[in-house]
Amino acid sequence: MIEIDNISKRFGEIQAIKEVSLQAANGKITGLLGPNGAGKSTALRVLYGLLKPDEGSVKVDGTDVFRQRPEAQRKLGVLPDAHGLYGRLSAREHISYFGRLHGVAENELEQQTDELIRLLDMQSIADRRTEGFSQGERMKVCLARALIHRPGNVVLDEPTNGLDVMTTRKVRELMLELKQRNITILFSSHLMHEVARLCDEIIIITSGKVVAQGTTAEIRSIAGEDNLEDAFVRLSEGDGP
Amino acid sequence: MHPIQAVFRKELIDGFRDKRALLTAFLFPALAPILIYGLIYAIIDMSSDAENLEVAVINAESAPALIQYMQEKGVEITTFTGNAEQAVKDKKQAFILEIPGDYQQRLRDFKTTIVPIIHDSSRSDTRISLRRLRDLVREYNGQLSALRLIARGVSPSVIRGVVSGNQDIASEEQRLISLFSMVPLYIMLAAFIAGMGLAVDSTAGERERKSLEPLLVNPVQRLHLIQGKWLAASFYAAIGMLSTLVLSLIVMLNAPLEDLGFIFSISIQQVIMLILATLPLPFLATSLEMLLGIFAKSFKDAQSYIGLVTLLPTLPFLIDTFNPVTTQDWMYATPIFGQYLLMTEVLGAVELSWLAYASSGVSCLLLSVLLCFLTSRLLSREAVITG
Repeated sequence: MIEIDNISKRFGEIQAIKEVSLQAANGKITGLLGPNGAGKSTALRVLYGLLKPDEGSVKVDGTDVFRQRPEAQRKLGVLPDAHGLYGRLSAREHISYFGRLHGVAENELEQQTDELIRLLDMQSIADRRTEGFSQGERMKVCLARALIHRPGNVVLDEPTNGLDVMTTRKVRELMLELKQRNITILFSSHLMHEVARLCDEIIIITSGKVVAQGTTAEIRSIAGEDNLEDAFVRLSEGDGP
Repeated sequence: MHPIQAVFRKELIDGFRDKRALLTAFLFPALAPILIYGLIYAIIDMSSDAENLEVAVINAESAPALIQYMQEKGVEITTFTGNAEQAVKDKKQAFILEIPGDYQQRLRDFKTTIVPIIHDSSRSDTRISLRRLRDLVREYNGQLSALRLIARGVSPSVIRGVVSGNQDIASEEQRLISLFSMVPLYIMLAAFIAGMGLAVDSTAGERERKSLEPLLVNPVQRLHLIQGKWLAASFYAAIGMLSTLVLSLIVMLNAPLEDLGFIFSISIQQVIMLILATLPLPFLATSLEMLLGIFAKSFKDAQSYIGLVTLLPTLPFLIDTFNPVTTQDWMYATPIFGQYLLMTEVLGAVELSWLAYASSGVSCLLLSVLLCFLTSRLLSREAVITG
């Protein structure tokens, strides 16, 4: 359960997000949809504790992210905006490094790593150094290391950005698998059809503000458009109701 | 596993696999023997030049007594004709002694005779030989004057009012250490260079390859991240420095120092003292490099000004060389300078109190811990992610 309550963040003159509130519930996939530069990444960075909001609060399973950052981060699995890897470490080493940073016990670490490697279908690359990995292979490593501590809440910033069809499909399967396990999933995207297909709940954000929130059907009716894409464009341009 | 340990372990593996950084780190200690041997041979060469003094003389036949005196003292005399100034300028001759044509005449008239030495004072390699030649001429003058006085029934001591004596208090080892002041400098440089690759890679490198944001998402205190990275970088810096230290000592023990009239020996106890004295240095070096590294956005950016950090260990050497100061207790507590002092004094077999070790070690480590703390504060800035 993720609760974002009325957060605002300003960088100098630029108001990146303003009074953003949203909730993501257990066992549901919540999509944060918005054009590039709408403030999606800023909102998520506030959520996972890297930026301090000027006002408002964020709670993960009831734990305040700013008062108890490490405790809240322990409950989160995060795929951040930046996907950097250590070129000299293998995929498996990346996963176990993050597991250890999360305090996963040594005897569970190997088993959990193997499970993720199987789940993400990365057996053939697990023991290779990540130097020279393809975009899709890199994304799998990032996802696996974000999930190694079995978080109850997963936050993914543009998880399918720049991936080929095969990997994109794999990522979607993973999200559905996590949903099956009653995990809270919040992910951002600028791809309409992706959000429409996967999400139980959609939040449309543009120019740092939430302009619409609801199920696919609800969004369509808010915008007064039959087609979700038209609804998105209308809402994004700020001439919604 | 504690987060510090997890970070330390990961950075250690990462650093070990970075072949290029590893090469630069350990090329430096590996070059120590070459440097030290080169230095010793240069010194031996210079001093043997002075022993086998060879003097080119113009018009030698005019002063047979002086020439004979010099030959008795082991000087090899060659005769020179031609343009003396040009020959010295062209470095064909180190220097030339010119006997004036009226030498004998002036001697008979009891007039002062000047024998010019044509030399180039900007050349440092001939300085010792030149001084010996001057001393010989002065000695000959003393002998000649004494003979003249005795011939007139006057004691030569009449004209020797005050004479300076010579009592060198430097121990053999201390004279040796002035010879080897380069070695402590080199050891300190090793501490700064060996860990630099990893210190930069684990700070500026994290930002450059965009791995910092995923790292900071983990529920780990920033200070723990920095401490793990710091210990890993210090580990390599310490290995680099200690291997330089050990290699240097081995070379010094095996170098032909007896040719210089020195005997160098070192006890196990002294070696332990040296290690104790220098061990805080790598920790300071890497904490400083990491602090600068976290400011930089890229590896290249960082390297450009971290290079300046390597000038720091040369400071004590320069101060010691150009403005020698009397050692005072507070100097030991000055990081870097304190370690330099301890090293030169342990090598010079000077007995030191435990207080000197304690104050230099504690101040150096305290400063490093403070720098790490500062680095962790910088890591908490939002600009580290958004900038």
